[in-house]
Formats: sequence, structure tokens, C-alpha cells
Amino acid sequence: MSDIRLEVKDVSKSFGITRALKRVSFNINKGEIHALIGENGSGKSTLTNSLAGIYQKDDGLFILDGKEIHPHNQLEANNEGISIIVQELGTLDGLTVAENIFLGHEEEFVKCGIKNTKAMNRKANELLKKYGFERIKAGDMIENYNFEDRKLVEIVKATYFSPKIVVIDETTTALSREGREELYKQMKRIRSEGDTVIFISHDLPEVLSLSDSITVLRDGDYIDTIKSSDVDEDGLKKLMVGREVSGNYYRADYGEEISDEVVMSVKNVTVPGLISDVSFDLHKGEILGFGGLSESGMHEIGKACFGASFDREGSVTLADGTEIKDIPTAISHSIAYTSKDRDNESLVMNQSIRDNICLPSLDGLANKARLLSDKKLEDFANTYAKKMSTKMISVNQFVSELSGGNKQKVVLARWIGKDSDILLLDSPTRGIDVKVKQDIYQLMDSMRKAGKSIIMISEELMELIGMCDRIIIMKDGKISGELRRDKDMDENSLIAKMV
Amino acid sequence: MNASAQTTGKKLSGQAKGYILLFVLVLLSWGIFKIITPDNFGSAKNMLSYFEASLLAAVGAVGFYFVMVMGMFDFSIGANIMLSAIVGCVFANRFGLGYVGLVAGSIITGALVGLINGAFYVKLRIPSMIVTTGLALIYESVANYIAGGVEQTLPSDLRVFGQMPGNLILAVIAFAVAFLLLNYTKIGTYTYAIGSNEFVAKNMGIKVNKYKVLAFIISGAFLGVMAVLTISYGSSMVAVTGMASMSRNFVPTMGCFFGLAFKKYGMPIPAIIIGEFVINIIFFGFIALGAPTAIQDVITGLALLIIVTLTTKVAKGEIVK
Repeated sequence: MSDIRLEVKDVSKSFGITRALKRVSFNINKGEIHALIGENGSGKSTLTNSLAGIYQKDDGLFILDGKEIHPHNQLEANNEGISIIVQELGTLDGLTVAENIFLGHEEEFVKCGIKNTKAMNRKANELLKKYGFERIKAGDMIENYNFEDRKLVEIVKATYFSPKIVVIDETTTALSREGREELYKQMKRIRSEGDTVIFISHDLPEVLSLSDSITVLRDGDYIDTIKSSDVDEDGLKKLMVGREVSGNYYRADYGEEISDEVVMSVKNVTVPGLISDVSFDLHKGEILGFGGLSESGMHEIGKACFGASFDREGSVTLADGTEIKDIPTAISHSIAYTSKDRDNESLVMNQSIRDNICLPSLDGLANKARLLSDKKLEDFANTYAKKMSTKMISVNQFVSELSGGNKQKVVLARWIGKDSDILLLDSPTRGIDVKVKQDIYQLMDSMRKAGKSIIMISEELMELIGMCDRIIIMKDGKISGELRRDKDMDENSLIAKMV
Repeated sequence: MNASAQTTGKKLSGQAKGYILLFVLVLLSWGIFKIITPDNFGSAKNMLSYFEASLLAAVGAVGFYFVMVMGMFDFSIGANIMLSAIVGCVFANRFGLGYVGLVAGSIITGALVGLINGAFYVKLRIPSMIVTTGLALIYESVANYIAGGVEQTLPSDLRVFGQMPGNLILAVIAFAVAFLLLNYTKIGTYTYAIGSNEFVAKNMGIKVNKYKVLAFIISGAFLGVMAVLTISYGSSMVAVTGMASMSRNFVPTMGCFFGLAFKKYGMPIPAIIIGEFVINIIFFGFIALGAPTAIQDVITGLALLIIVTLTTKVAKGEIVK
């Protein structure tokens, strides 16, 4: 009996003139965690979305256990034994937890057209208990739960029916450590039952520690499939990028003095239910990191400093005495903010790259009569999109057509174009490949050297350690510790203050 | 902070809160007019007749809710009621089919109008507001043609649904069917799923266009029932043209707003029924006051805005469109 679970044969897919997949062929075995890696825009999600019925491939074959499959939507893919946990939110408001879990599979609870809600809730509660998510109740409306809990519901939804293949697309970045551990546990369970996990992640240590084999894609081309035990991190980077990538892509300097000049002073800031009595100063030319568990309140810091928090108490004051109480004041005083929730809070998805980049700079781009020139906007957007090496057909392409990493580049290009002096970056490298990460780290370092001040909020402890002059750790909405840049600092010293 | 605190118990208390809010609205609207005009408004008998009158629009509104919750709109409600009532009347009277003709004729016509609305909407791929506005003109003309430009009167022996208990029985059946469809069938689940995120719903294998058309058909069928109640209550129907039927859109739409506002309490259908009752109390209050129509419209419009604003607690940061 063959060990091959899935044969990908000459699969091609184009979006307009962009060729996202070019005759990709490789095999995936039964009972393995098979990682799919590559730079942003390399075609990973396009391939798995085609497998899961979200996209329709243009050409080629998917052969599952020797039988060709053509799912036209996720339900058909589920029926073939394939499920997917997508990168962004995959549950629906207006439905209960149970209705979300069984959406498209209600038949087993329907008799004579009438749905047995009690039976559905009972089954969902049993599943939630089995997965250890008892705190989530089947009968509750899904919108009552936060992003991470909703991701946990997606894990149940995607795996409860023992599919032959579960695709996990860049999901771990949305989860806290606890959530990740749970996901890892489920991945290992699926493997031990002889089924297959296709795992997409930019976190190479995570990929190496979890997967059995790794397939690398680059610019829509298949590059190689290797055993995880036969490769190291630098080897993977080389395969992904196509050239040597130095392992040390963080800042190399240590012992630099932080300027005494305070550019932003945060005093006793409280956002009810999220952060409490937070005070700190941001200095000129400093990268100030914020770390902690996902629910520690650190993600609210960026919003609070940008004037985007509701019911904020306390003050955020700039060096010239201006108090930041709202977003227009923040932007007009050269403050930039990138949200962790890129698609919903940072980008206008159904607008072009040009419009997204130019949005906060329109006043400066208008002529004396306050009219905007198409050429000027296009040139401006082109300059900064190219500076960020955004993979695009043109700046007139819709942002919704870009991969996750390229979307992030558009967000950053917007604020670089605005020449902001204070940057509040929440999870700036979330879902970003190693090459772009390196570009972003270098950009942050050069901005720091140019006297710009940066607040970097991240769940990635290594990048905080590697990039920040100071790191503030948040716990239960409060500051629980502060560490200064140090060669000998390691993850454990941060974790000790986080939990 | 953690959503785990949100339990089923909280949902139940949410429903109780919703009912209390609605009860307060009924009491408030009744109390205001009772104080201003104590003699000719608000007796128990009066309140029962206001409730009877409110049943008409409530039946249409519970059907229309399926369309609205999916994020679509229907400007042909009035034209549908008019056409369905006229066809039902013609079947009952001219073709001698009696109650069967009245009920079946109206409901089938209403559902057919819904089918046409839905089919045009999904095939033409243009906004539902525009499609239904264009089609409303056609429905009005068809109704006028069928009626031959003459007012259609329902014989007195066919008006059981215009009074108690016939109207109440028909309305309760309609409400029960709507409740069943919304809470105990796939249609209800898919209606909310499509309203929440059409793209994800489509990826879950839901035939989005099919369920959108179905929503229009359900809405149309309920408007057909409303047509039966309307012509039975008023005894006749005039086939107006030139978009004059639009005036009939207002009351069912207002009830639907109540349903949407109280959706978060998990009780849209009771909210529509009680909401229509509140609207009728206000209407009859103005009549008791002898207020001019223009003033009635201004106050009613403002009352709608105030009620929906007070009952729709939008979360901070939530985008309202």
C-alpha cells in the first residue's frame, strides 16, 4: 500500500497576469506533518486554497489516495477529507459556536427539515470538552469570543471529523503560547492517527521542530522537498530566497546610549478592561519593545498612543506639549501606527495599493487648488512600494489580491511615505517571510539611526531581544518589568516577567 | 476580558433585557398619549384593536427580516402587497374560489414576486434596492391591469381574516413558521451566515445565490399573507401606479428595524411583533389627538430614530453603515 497521501501534479494558477503557481508537482505522505514554506507571494496559500476548494486551479491535478479530486468549495473539500484553518478569521458572526463548527454539515442534526439545536449544541460541547476548550460554550454567539478563542473553535471545526489532510495556514501567529501548544498537540495527534498536516509557517524554528518534511516554493515555482532532519535554518533560508541569508539579521550594536530627549511621554494611561495605569517615556532614536502574552494588554499600547483607544484615561504627550487624544492629531504630529489586525484595521482591502499608500499623505500631495494629480499619486505610491520591494503588477492592483506579507509592506510603505517620526508597530513581522523580516529589521535600524523613534509590540521574543533598546513586559494589563538591551539577554528572562 | 465569561446564562438574561426594553417602550408610548388625550385613547378595547391592526405589518415584517438580515433591501414591498391582494381577491371573487383562492392566490403571488425579485437580483448582479425599485413599477402596472383600473372589493362573507380570531390565527401561524425557519432549519443558519460574511459562507459550500433567492421568496410569501390580512381588514384594494405603493413599505420596514435592533438579544421575531404594536400605538395616538398627517409623519419618523438609537447599542469602534 502506498505511503503517498496527496500527489500535486503540474498545478498552475494565475490571478490576471500574475502567475501564482507554475506547474507545481510534489508528493505528501500519510502520517506526516509536511511544512510548506517560501517567501511572501511564493504561492503557498494559493496552493493550499486551491486544494481546499477556496480557489479553483487553472491546470494540473490533486490526487488524494490515488483518486483525483476537484473540490469547488470548502464543504466539498471536507467531504473529500481535506480541511483548512485559514490565516485570518474563518468563523461567522451571527451564528453560535456550534453552528460555526457544523456549518455546512448540519444534515446529521436535521430531521424532516427541522434542525435539532439541542443535539447540535450537545455534540459541540462534547467536542470542545474533548479538545480541552470547555470554557467555550456551544450555545454562545461566536462574537462573544475573542480572536484567539475563535481560532480555537476553528481548530475544532477543521479537525473533529478526522480529515485525511488538515491545512494549517499561518495560524500560529494569531495564537498565544497556550493556543500554539494546543495546536501543536492536535497536529501531533493527527499525525499519530496516520493522517497528514500541511503546515504553513514563516517561523523556521517552529517548522523545523514540528515537521517531518518540508517543501519549498519560490515565486510560484516548486524548489525542493527535503526531510526536516537533513536541513538547518540557514539552509532553509537559502532555499527560500535563492541565495545565502545571514542568520544574524537583527541589530548588531550593543551598549549604545539612549538619547535623553523624550519624544513621547505616556502617563498613567488606562483603557478599561485592557490596560491599567501604564506610564513610560519614548526617547529620540530609540526602539522600545513591548512584550507579553497575547492578552496582556500590550496590543492596546499602540492604539492608546495613537489616540485610537476608547475611554482612554491618562495622557500621551509629545515633546512640544501636544496631547494625543485622537487619530487626526496623532497623524498630523508625525505618528504612524500599524495594527496587528492588518486586514481589518490597517488596509482598505478593496482599494488599490496606490490609494492605500497615499491615504494619510493626500494633503501633502494636493496642489494649491487642493486638487490631486493621478500621476503624482502614482509616482508617490510607486516610490514607496518599490522601496519596500512589494511584489505587485502595478500600484493600481487591489490590495486584496496581495499575499499577507506584501500587504504588510503596503502598510509600512504608507507610513514611510508619510515620513513619520514616531512609529507604533504592532506585530510588524506577523506572517512575514524571512527575507522581508530582514528588510523590515534593517529599515527599523536605519530609521532609528536617523533619529526616528519606534515602539515595537511583538509576541516574538527573539525579535524584541534582537531589535529593541529597552523592552517593557506587560502582564494582566500592567507593566510587570523592564529590561535594557543586553548581549546576554535570553527568552527566559522575558518569560519570567510575562507569566 | 476573556469571553469565556459569556455563558448561555448571559444570553438568557439578554433576552429578558430585550423583553423588558420592549415592554417599557409599549408602556411609554401608551402612557404619553394616555396623558395627552385620556378620553379617546388607550382603553383596553382600544389597545386590542391597535394590536389587531399591528398584526398586518408584523406578518410582512417577519418575512422581510430574512432579506434584510442578509444585507439586502426590497422597495417593492408595497407593490407586492397590492398585487397579491388583488390577485387573491380576483381568485376568491371573480373565479369563485373563496377562501382557498384568497389565501393561496395571495401567498403564491407574493412568493412569485419574491422569486422574480431574487432571480433578477442574482442574475443582473445589481443592488437589490435598484432591482426592486424597477420591478415595483412593473408590479404596480400588472396589478392595475388585472384590476382593470377598478377598486377590488372582497365580499363581506370572505372577510374572516379581517377580524378576531381569524386575523390572529393566521398571524400566529405566520409567526410560528418564521420562528421555525429562523431557529430550527438550515435556512435560518445560512441566512445569518450570509449576512455575516458572504465569502466565507460561500466557501462553506453554502449556495449563496440560492439562499438569497429563497429569502426573497420567503419574504414574498409572508407579504402575501399580509396582503390577505390587509384586504380582509380594509375590505378593498386600489391598484395605484407611479410608485404610490411605496407608502405601504414604511410600516413593515420599521418593524424589521426593530427585529434587527433586537437581534443581539436573540429575539428578533418577538421584537418585530411588539415593535409593530408600538408603532401602531403611536399612529393611533396621533389620530386620537387629531394631529395633521404631516405632523404625524414627522413625529413618527423621529420616534423611529429615537427608538432604534436607544435600543441599538453599537459597540465602541463598531462600524455602522
